[in-house]
Amino acid sequence: MGKSRVAVIWSLAAAVSVLTAGCGQGLLGGGSDGGGDEGPIPLGMLIPQSGSEAAIGPYMKNAAQLAVDEINGKGGVLGRKLELKVADDACDAQTAVAGANKLVTEGVKISVGGYCSGATLPTLPVFGKANIPMIIPAANSQELVDQHLKHVFLINGTGTQQATAAVAWMTKQGAKNVALVHDNTSYSKDIAVRTQRLLDESGGPETAILEAVTPKESDYSANINNILAKKPDFVYWTGYFQEGGLITRQLRQAGYRGAIMVGDGSVSEKLAEIAGPEAAEGVYATMTQTPDTLQGAEGWIASYSKKFGSNPGPYSNQAYDAVRLAAEALKQAGSTDGAKVISALEGINGFQMFSGPLKFTPDHTLSTGGFQILVVKSGKFALQDALK
Amino acid sequence: MSQLIWNGLFVGSFYALVALGYSMVYGIMKLLNFAHGDIYMLGAFTGFAILGAVGGISPGMALPVLLGVLVVTMAVTGLSGVLIERVAYRPLRNAPRLSLLITAVGASFALEYGMRAGAGADPQVYPLRLGGTAVEVLGARITLQQIALIIVAIVLMVGLNLLVTRTREGRAMRAIALDPRTSALMGISVNAVISRTFFLGSALAGAAGVMAGAYYGKIDFMMGFLIGLKAFTSAVIGGIGNIPGTMLGGLLLGLLESFGTYWLGGEWRDVFAFGVLILFLSVRPTGLLGERVTERV
Repeated sequence: MGKSRVAVIWSLAAAVSVLTAGCGQGLLGGGSDGGGDEGPIPLGMLIPQSGSEAAIGPYMKNAAQLAVDEINGKGGVLGRKLELKVADDACDAQTAVAGANKLVTEGVKISVGGYCSGATLPTLPVFGKANIPMIIPAANSQELVDQHLKHVFLINGTGTQQATAAVAWMTKQGAKNVALVHDNTSYSKDIAVRTQRLLDESGGPETAILEAVTPKESDYSANINNILAKKPDFVYWTGYFQEGGLITRQLRQAGYRGAIMVGDGSVSEKLAEIAGPEAAEGVYATMTQTPDTLQGAEGWIASYSKKFGSNPGPYSNQAYDAVRLAAEALKQAGSTDGAKVISALEGINGFQMFSGPLKFTPDHTLSTGGFQILVVKSGKFALQDALK
Repeated sequence: MSQLIWNGLFVGSFYALVALGYSMVYGIMKLLNFAHGDIYMLGAFTGFAILGAVGGISPGMALPVLLGVLVVTMAVTGLSGVLIERVAYRPLRNAPRLSLLITAVGASFALEYGMRAGAGADPQVYPLRLGGTAVEVLGARITLQQIALIIVAIVLMVGLNLLVTRTREGRAMRAIALDPRTSALMGISVNAVISRTFFLGSALAGAAGVMAGAYYGKIDFMMGFLIGLKAFTSAVIGGIGNIPGTMLGGLLLGLLESFGTYWLGGEWRDVFAFGVLILFLSVRPTGLLGERVTERV
C-alpha cells in the first residue's frame, strides 16, 4: 500500500483528538451560577494534582485547608464558614479550563488557585465571565497581568521582578557572559526574555545566547552544544525542575564549570536528585519566600506539620496567604458579590502576609516581589542572599 | 562539528532502537502501534524496579549489572508487547484499519496512565547512573559509557537484521509481510509469527528504555510519548517496514535534530525535524530505502 496513507491516518488521529478536546470544553462550558447565599462560602482552587507538576499540589492544598480551618475556627467570615473546593489542572491548559468550569458550576465565590502560568492563563476568562475574583498564589507570568483584567490579582512576584532579582545576582557575582535557557512555555520564556532585556539595559553582564529547549526530552546535548559554543560564565534556566535537573547534569558532564542558576519553577529537591549530588551542588535559584527561608514562621510550620504529618513545601505560604486574603476581602466587602470583593481587594492596605504588608499596584501585583537567591547545599535549597 | 555528529548519532541510536519495533509491526501487519513508545517507558520502569529490588551496587559493577537488567527487562517488555497484541490487536485483525489505530491509541493511554496510577506522577531517578568523564576524540566529548551504549544498540540491531534476513523465522516474517493469506496457506502460523514480531520489537524498545534511564537518570510515565513520535518519524524517513532503512532513519533524525539546533536555534529543532518528515511524506513517501509496492486487491 502507498505510504501516504500513513499521513492520512496520522492527521485523522490528530483531528479526532482536537475534536474531543473541543467537545470537552463545549459540554462543560454552560455552567450555571450555583451556590446560594446560605451555608459555607465556597473558595475554588485549581492546582496540579496530576501531571508533571503533581508534587506541588498537596503543598498548596494543605496550606489552603489550614487557613480555611483556622478562619472557620474563629467563626468564619460574614457569619458563614469557608469551604475549599479543589480541582486538578494537571498543569495543562485543557484540563485547567475544564476544572475552572467545574468550579464555576459549583458556585465558588473567589478563586485562590493557580500554579502553572500556562494552565492558569486560559482560566482567566472562565472566572472573569462568572464575575469571580482570582487571587493567584503561585502562577506569575507577566502575561497574566498584561491583559489588565479587573478580577485578576497576583500575590507571587512577577516575571519582571524575578528577572530583576536574577540580573542583580548575576551582576553581584561578576558574571560577564550569560546564557539564558527557557522551555518555550509562556512562564519560562517570559522570564528569560525579560532578563535579556534587563541585561541589555544594565550595561553589566552581556547575554551570550537565548536558547530554547523542548520540554519532556531526555537529551539536551544539542542545546548544550549551542550554549557552550558561546563560552558563557553563567547559565540561567527559567523552566521547571525536570528539565532543569537534566540540563544541569548535562552541562557539568560537558565540562561546563561556571555558575548555574534556575528559576522558581525549578526549586524542588527533585532537581538535585535528577542532576545528581555533585552536579547540583552550588546551583543558585531565584525564588520567593519558601517555608524554609521564612523568618519567624516556626509556629506556622509546626501547626502545618502537626495537621498533615509532613512539612510545608514551595508555595504553601502563598496558598495559605491567598485564603487569608480572600477572607479579608470578603469581610471588607461585606458581601460575596464579585465586584464588591474586587474593589475591597484593590483597597486593601497593609494586610500582613508572609511577603510583608500588602498593597496591590494598579496592575494588581505585589509592589515588591520578595525574590531572594537560594543555593543547593547537599541536595537541598538553602538561603544564599536575601537581596535586600 | 564532530561534536554535532556524535550527539546526533548517540540520540539517533535511541530513536533507531525504538523505531525498529514500529517498523517491524507496520511491515508485517500494516498497523501503527502507538503503544510502542510506551513500551519504551515500561522498559525504563521495569529496569528501575529491578535495580530497586537488587539494592546497593558498587560503581565498578554498574555495567555488568546493567547488562543483566537489560536482558531481564527485554524479556518483560517483549512479553508485554505480546500481551498487548493478544488482547488489543488480534481480536481486531480483520476490522477496518481505523479501529485498529484507535485501539492502539487506547493501548498507549492505558499504559501511560496505568503507570501513573502504579508508580505515581512524580519523575523517578535511576539508582544506578552511567555518568563518566568525557574524553576528547577529534574535538568531540565522548564518554566510555556512551560508547558502551552505542555498542549495545549496534549489537541488538545487527542481531535483529541477521534474524530477519538469515533465519527461517525471519523468512516467515517477510512472507507474512508480503502476503499473510498465502503464507497461512503455505503452513506458516501467522499468529505465532506476529506474536514473535511483537516480542522482538518490544524487547528492543524496552532495552532502549533501560539504557535511557541509566544514562539520563530521569524517568516518568510520559517519557515514551515524544520518543514514540520521533521513532515514527525515523521509520517514515528511512522507509517504514524496512529494517536497515529504519535504522538509517533513526540516525538521520538524530543528526537532523543536532544540526537543526545548531543552525536554527533550539526552538526550531522540532520544526526542522518534523518539517523533514512532511517533506519525505510528500516527495518520497516510501522513505529512503523503502520500495514502492503496488497495492494488491
